[in-house]
Parts: sequence; structure tokens; C-alpha cells
Amino acid sequence: MTIDSTTLTQAPVAGPTPEALLPKAGVLRLPRSPKVIAGLVLLAPFAVVAVIGQWISPYSPNATDPQNWVQHVLVPGTGPGTGIAPNYYPLPLGPSAAHWLGTTVFAQDVLSQVLVSTQATMFVGLLAAAIATVLSILFGVSAGYFGGNTDEVLSLISNVFLAIPGLPLLIVLADYVPTAGSSILLVAFIIAVTAWAYSSRVLRAQTLSLRNRDFVEASRVTGEARFRIILAEILPNLVPIVAASFLFTTLYAIYAYVAISFLGLGGSPTSSPAGLWNWGEMLREGFANNAIRGGWWWWWAPPGLCVALLGTGLALVNFGIDEFINPRLRAAGLTRRAAKKAGIRTRATLGMTPVVGNRAAVPALAARSQSSGEAVLEIRGLSVDYGYGDEAVHAVVDCDLVLRRGKVLGLAGESGSGKTTLALAAIRLLRSPAVITGGQVLFHSRPVGGDGPSGTIDMLASDEEELRSVRWSEISVVLQSSMNALNPVISIGAQFDDLLRVHRPQLSRPARLERSGELLDMVGINADRLRSHPHELSGGMRQRAMIALALALEPQVMILDEPTTALDVVTQREILEELIGLRDRLGFAALFITHDLSLLVEIADEIAVMYAGRVMERAPAASLFKAPRLPYTHGLIHCFPPMHGKRERMQGIPGSPPDLKDLPQGCAFHPRCEWAMDQCRHDVPQLEPLNGSARAVACWLHTGAAKVPAELARPDPGVAEAHAR
Amino acid sequence: MRAVLRRLGVYLLAAWVAITVSFLLPRVVPGNPVAGAVARASQSGNCNAQCIIAVEEQLGFNAHTSLWDQYVQYLGNLAHGNLGQSWSENAPVSSLIISYLPWTLGLLVVATTISFFAGTTLGIWMAWRRGTWFEWVLPTATFFQALPYFFLALVLVLIFGQTGTMLKWFPSLFGYDIYVVTPGWNWPYINSVIGHAILPAATVILASIAGFILSMRNQMVTTMDEDFVLVAAAKGLPTRTVVWYAARNALLPVVSNFTIAISLVVAGQILVEIVFNYPGIGFHLFDALAKLDYSLVQGIFVVITLVVLGANLLADVVYVLIDPRARQAA
Repeated sequence: MTIDSTTLTQAPVAGPTPEALLPKAGVLRLPRSPKVIAGLVLLAPFAVVAVIGQWISPYSPNATDPQNWVQHVLVPGTGPGTGIAPNYYPLPLGPSAAHWLGTTVFAQDVLSQVLVSTQATMFVGLLAAAIATVLSILFGVSAGYFGGNTDEVLSLISNVFLAIPGLPLLIVLADYVPTAGSSILLVAFIIAVTAWAYSSRVLRAQTLSLRNRDFVEASRVTGEARFRIILAEILPNLVPIVAASFLFTTLYAIYAYVAISFLGLGGSPTSSPAGLWNWGEMLREGFANNAIRGGWWWWWAPPGLCVALLGTGLALVNFGIDEFINPRLRAAGLTRRAAKKAGIRTRATLGMTPVVGNRAAVPALAARSQSSGEAVLEIRGLSVDYGYGDEAVHAVVDCDLVLRRGKVLGLAGESGSGKTTLALAAIRLLRSPAVITGGQVLFHSRPVGGDGPSGTIDMLASDEEELRSVRWSEISVVLQSSMNALNPVISIGAQFDDLLRVHRPQLSRPARLERSGELLDMVGINADRLRSHPHELSGGMRQRAMIALALALEPQVMILDEPTTALDVVTQREILEELIGLRDRLGFAALFITHDLSLLVEIADEIAVMYAGRVMERAPAASLFKAPRLPYTHGLIHCFPPMHGKRERMQGIPGSPPDLKDLPQGCAFHPRCEWAMDQCRHDVPQLEPLNGSARAVACWLHTGAAKVPAELARPDPGVAEAHAR
Repeated sequence: MRAVLRRLGVYLLAAWVAITVSFLLPRVVPGNPVAGAVARASQSGNCNAQCIIAVEEQLGFNAHTSLWDQYVQYLGNLAHGNLGQSWSENAPVSSLIISYLPWTLGLLVVATTISFFAGTTLGIWMAWRRGTWFEWVLPTATFFQALPYFFLALVLVLIFGQTGTMLKWFPSLFGYDIYVVTPGWNWPYINSVIGHAILPAATVILASIAGFILSMRNQMVTTMDEDFVLVAAAKGLPTRTVVWYAARNALLPVVSNFTIAISLVVAGQILVEIVFNYPGIGFHLFDALAKLDYSLVQGIFVVITLVVLGANLLADVVYVLIDPRARQAA
């Protein structure tokens, strides 16, 4: 097999994955997760009390209740029999009807103090956080946007502030500014000075990544003023991060205020000038007046618990924002609840995609059986959902594929058509929330080296041990993103070594090293590179190393998921030739996934075309390319300009790829199909063999009385060959 | 190495800023605020005539040299390890701090080490076992993270402390039993020191562990979505190796955020020492504040800053060691 380089088309370079981008945040819509709701429920009473606390408090926080003032108690360890002069303390009163949270040692009402304290505590927290947030935006965004020397200086300043421990600095500042205690504005400002640096660093990093995005570049090119760009393009995208850091700083500021008040630096309500009641001051009074030794928990526990509950509330809302910024944190949590509802037991462990529903053996129907050749991987009626129950998206529906020993099966289709889902589901590597809802995947093993299981394994019925015995030694995978497929923190050699150590325990360390070197050598990389780390290799070299790794155990099947898409054209070609050469030498079967049909024609023996989660056409490579039977395949082929022959007007496929959440009735392709008939709008076509050939198609045009358009009735070169013989 | 040197430069600058701030503030704040503090302190009996003289002398109110000359002299003294004289203890500040420091460092190192390793391990486990009962650790950890250190300390004293009123299991006052044992290399003393460290250490661990659990869990969850972890599973490696692949990478941001963590732990421990009358620098900072011993306050602040900066530098070195990409850049 050779490759005609002129027909290779450059694949569109994969854009940034959606996860790498922040969700567009015009309005910060928090996910309605139980965490956020619980957080808001916790915060709400504090917000209310902060406003109305002084009016609903039953007593004045300073008023003493003289009835309880006269009772005294002997301090333990003093008085008669101890040799120490007796020492008395007034006795505070425990919770009662008159004083719901009891009284202090000064016979003041604890509940009133807690209620009144809420205002100052929260005011300082919010004000300090607001000041700190403004500071962090000024420093962080300017540093990130302007870069250069501005960045150097501003980052240095924030790094210095970050390195100086906050509370000690705060203590020194508050201590040297004694009037601070009576002015909560000053306290808030001092706290803000010690609190802004962390947010500033986060905002700088985010701004740096934003400023190189297309939409910012575009405004820059069109000559918008810097200030406007920052205001109109950058800041709106920073909203979630600013919100998260605001909440975080509020939390910190409340702790800081409570802490310095506990140290007596927040100003006492009884001193002059008088400070304000706050929770830290209550804790200080309790601690200073032996509330611990006396066991008067009602005095100091309420303010402490208030801080903790308020903090928990803020942290929970912050989780919600984190999940908004980083959807990875959210995904599994949501499906777990749905899974529970659906009664599915899932284990979080990677590499064990759950299988549910009807898994009755799927008969190898006549329609499903294909032309000659021994099958090595047989996929029958495989269906995969993302999510459970009502929210489930059917990503793969009832798919049949047969990979034959030593052959290359191409799997083509647009992005989102379910190619990768199908392939990864077959080896149970899909992550949550994917669920396999039906079908069989039979692996017919006939090991080359004699180790590993012989016979047939149903991958969907296997347990972890069985899967592990097949993985990599019989079925290996090369993913699209060579950049991320290798562990970045350990050397290439170590990644070969841990594989060989597990699967070839009989090999000694030097033998493993030698084998690793051979493998790299086989894909044209110097064995010295075993000592390198992935970041020291080019993209092409990384993909080669990955292929060498995939061949390390001489597998019977190799799954190649767009192995060359992320690479430049020249490297693509080299790697493809490499792969074909290796296939011819080692005789593994390959499932080759790509959206590039013209590339498949060069290397595949057979091609299957997927659309909206279904296999729609399946045929020998040449037949499919020269004489497509499916309107969609026809469209795909005519997306690519031929390099030879007369110039033809290219026509793409009109419309856009289907939304799996909202598929049209009938054939999923009918809205984009120029030959769509009435039947196509109502009934889903099944993959049926075409008369007299080794191919199958799911299209109503080829069944019944419909007249087949000329474009879809070109003579099949495969059939012609067969006739010629 | 270059990256580490760069960080070292930042830390040196931070140290200089901290020192300068603590020197300048009491001298430049308008309206002679110290006089007010002195007046209040002498009212409450905390500051006598001797104290007033000492404070004025420490802060250079009666000095006849310029502020700049005082600053240069202060820096010169610092460079020689001379942090001034504490009037309340009547001893050089540097020797006082040297006697406080082992208590603080011992508690800090032991508690932070336990907290970091136990916290990250739990975080890894939580991320891996997502969807099991283990999820309940999350809200619990959130609550513990929200507890102020000193409040947790008060609760532990109440429940477990001998100065509390409930179980009275562990000593909860001072660094050792000052009435019974004599400091030195003898078993009763060491035993007493360990016993007295249990509650303070437990406080610091309980209050700080949630932060390590949560940040490791979130990093781990994010990392587990990376392709190389999927490939590790596809390679048929044993589960613990796959977990290690993810954890090793998830650890990097956690280590680089150690700066924030250590700052918070040190701040928390200062307050914990106060609650337990634990004889470290935090407790003595509190004491010096009450006695208006500004030399001691300044000295302790400078030393705390240096300790935190040292911990940061250590974290930077560890980061360079565990991330080959940083190693290359360094």
C-alpha cells in the first residue's frame, strides 16, 4: 500500500477544547446544585440579621441584668484546702427563657450580643473584600494585559505581598494604628491590604490567557482603546473568577477581623473610643474571663459557630462557582444523583464504563454478517448514552462493526457523530457519565506470542481483571492528543518500563530497557530519547513514541483515534507511512478513526460512515469512495477537492451537524439531504445489505420502489472486479 | 536553578518590605498613636513608668538622630542578629526568640506534615472514589475548613482538655508540666512535652487538613480527565499505578499553592498557641502586644516572616524537584 501524497488534505486544526475556555459569563448563572442552595440557605439569615440585628435583639448588648450579677463562683483550685487565696468569679447564667443563650459573666445577654455583632463582622468582611477585589483587579488585570515591564513590577509587588504572612502583618499594622479599633473603615482597609495579592495572581493568569484569544485580538486590531478592551472584552469574562475571589476574600476578611478582635486589637465596646460589638470581641471576652474553665460554653460557642456557619455558607457557594468555572468538577456529581435514581451502581474507577440494560446476546443476523475474513473484534448492536434517564443523550445507537484480523477498518464522520464514543465504549474506556446501554463486543483472541487469553471474550461482560489482561497486550489505543497522552512528569523510558514491568514480568530491567530502545528505534526515534520527558519532544515525536508504546506488547488490535489530526501535513504523512509499514510488518488489525475520508481511502480496507450516532454506510474502501450509496457519504467525499482532473465546483453539505439532544424524527440526515422523501421524515432507516455486494447502507432510497439518483448509483468498482473475475 | 533564585529574590524583597514596614509604622503614623496606647496600658496596669520610658526609647521618640540614621542603624543591628532589648523580659530579643522558636517550629512542622500528607491522601482517595459514601467527607471538610483555628482550639479544650470541663484527657495549658518536670533530656520532660503538644497539634491538623483535602481533590478530579490517565488505564496498569499517574500530576498545583496554605497555618497557629498558653512565638507575640514591648513585637514579626518565607522557598525547591518542566526552566 502506498500513499498518494497529493490527495492528502490538511485536516482542520483542532480548536481549543471547550473545557479550556471559561464559560461565557454575561450573567453568572450558578448551577442549581445542592451545594449552592445549602450555601445560600446558610447565608440568608446572616444577611437578614446583619441589617435588622440591632432592632430584634431583646436587650442592649451592654445592658447588665443585675439579678444575676450578684452570684459568684469559686475558681477551681483556689480557696480553702488549696493554700491559694480564694478567688471568685461572677456566675453567668445558662440558657433560659429570659436569656435564650444565657448571659455573660457581666450578666449581659449573649443572644443580643450575637445579633448586634453580626452587622460589624459582616460589614468589615464585605468592605474589606470589596477593597481587596478592586485592588486585585487593578493589579492583576493591568499586569496580565499590559505585560512587559508593567507586568514585572506589578507581579513583583503582588508576589511580595503574597509571601508576607497576612495575619502577623495585620497584627503589626493594627497594633501600630490603635485608633483602628474604633474605625471599622480603617480595619477593613488594613485587612484588604493584606488580602488582595492572591486574587491578583489568579486574575493576572486568567487575563494573560484571555488577551491572546481571538475576540480580544480582533478588538485590538480594529483599534479599540485599551481601556475599552479591558472593560468590554476582558472584565466580563473574568466575572466568575472575580466572584469566587470576592467570596474567598470575604471569608478571609471575616476570619482576620475576628482574629484581631480576639487579640484585643479590634477595639473594645467598653473602651474609649468605643469599638463595635463583633464576634471576635465576644470570643475575646469569654476567653479572657475564664469561660472555658468555667464550662460556660453558651458564652463563646455561639459567636464561634456563627463564624463557622457563615464560612461554610460562603465556601459552599464558592464550590458552585468553581464548578461553573471548571465543569469537570461538576459532571460526575450530577450524574451520580441521576444514576442513583435510575438504580445504577457505578464505580468511579476509571476504565470500567458501566453496562446497563438489555445485554441479551445479539444474534449475528444476515444483515450483520459481512464478507469473508476472520473477525478479531466484533461489535454488535452497541448503544451508548451520556447520562441516565430523561437527561440521557444517545451518542451511539445500535452499531455493528466487524474488524478483521490484519485489516484496517476506517471509521469516518463529522465531529460529534459518535466515532470516538463507539471505539472507546468497545474497550470500556469511556468516562462518566457514559453508560453502555446494550450490545456485545466480542474480542476473538488468537495471541501471537502465546500469552494472554485465547478464545472469545465479551468485553461488556468482563470484570476488571479480565479487561486488564486484554488491555494493551491485545488491544492498544493511540489517541488524537499526543500532547496529553503521555504522562508529563515522568520520562518516556519510565512509561515504557511500567508497561513492560506489568505485562512482561519475566523481563529483567536491562531487558526492558533494551526492548524500549528497540521500540523507539522502530518508529525512527533514537533510543537516547528514553531519558527525555514528553515536553522535550516535538508533537510528531510524541505521537511516534505513543505508537511505539502501543506496539510494545504486539497487540492484535490497535485503535487509532485521529492519530494524525493534531499534526502538520508533512508529519501526518510520515506517521501514516510509518503506521502502514508497521501494519504490514506486524500484522495487527486497526480501527482507524478520522473525519478525513480521503485519507481513509488510502489506508483502509473497509470504511464505515457514522452520522448522529449510527453507522449509516459500510463498504470496501474503494467502493465507498468511488461509488457512495448514502447521500451523506456522497456529500463528505465532495467536500474535498480532487488534486487531479478537471476543476469542479465544490459543494459542502448544507446545514449543520445534528444536535444529539434534539434529533429530527426519521432519518437524522433528512433535513440536510437533497433527496429526502416523505418516508425519511418518519421512519429511521436500518443498515441493510445492498443486493449483490459486500456493502450495507441505511437509506430509504435504496429500499423499495424509490428511484435511486444517478450520483448514488455509480458502478461499484468492487462489484465490477468481482464480475470481471 | 534560575527559577529558584528568582523566587529567592522575591522573598528577600518581601523580607525587606516586612522589616521596613514594622520599623516605619510606629514612627510615621500621625498623632503619636503610641502615646495613646501607653496611656491606656498604664491605666490598666500593664505599663508602668519603666515601660513608658522603654517604649519611647525603643521607638526612638527621644532620639536625636534622623529617621534615616535610625533606619540604617536598625538594619545594621538586624544584620548582626541584634533585634534590640525586650524591656518586659529584660533580655535581648534575639535570645528570647531563639528560646521560643523550637516550640513553634516543632508544632508547625509536625502538624503541617501530618496534615499535608493525610490531607492529600484523603483528597486523592476522594477524587478516585467519587460517587461513594466517601463524598460525605466533602461537606464535613468544608465545615472544618470554615472553623477558625482558635475557636476549634477552644472546643477541643472544652471537650478533651484538662482545663476544660468534660473528658479532661489531655493537658491543655503550657508546653510542659512546669510544676513537675525539669526541662532537659529526660524522659518525664519529653513525655510531658509530647502530651502537651497533642491538643495544639490536633487543632492545627483538624483546622488545616480540610484545605489540603479539598484542593487535592479538585486538582485530582481535573487531572483524572486528562488523556494520559485514560491511557494509563488503557495500558492495563494496576489501579494504584493509574492513581499514582494522576496524583503525581495533581500534586504540582497543590505544592505551588503551598505559599497560601503555610501563611494561613502560621496565622492560625499563632492564635492556637495563645489559647493553649503554648510557649511559642505566637503566644509571646500576644504577651508582648499586651505589654507594649515593641522591640519584641517587631522581632517576632520579622522572625515569623522569615519562617514563612523559608517554608515557601522549601516548597519552591520541592516543586522544581517534582516537575521536570520546571527543572528544565530552572
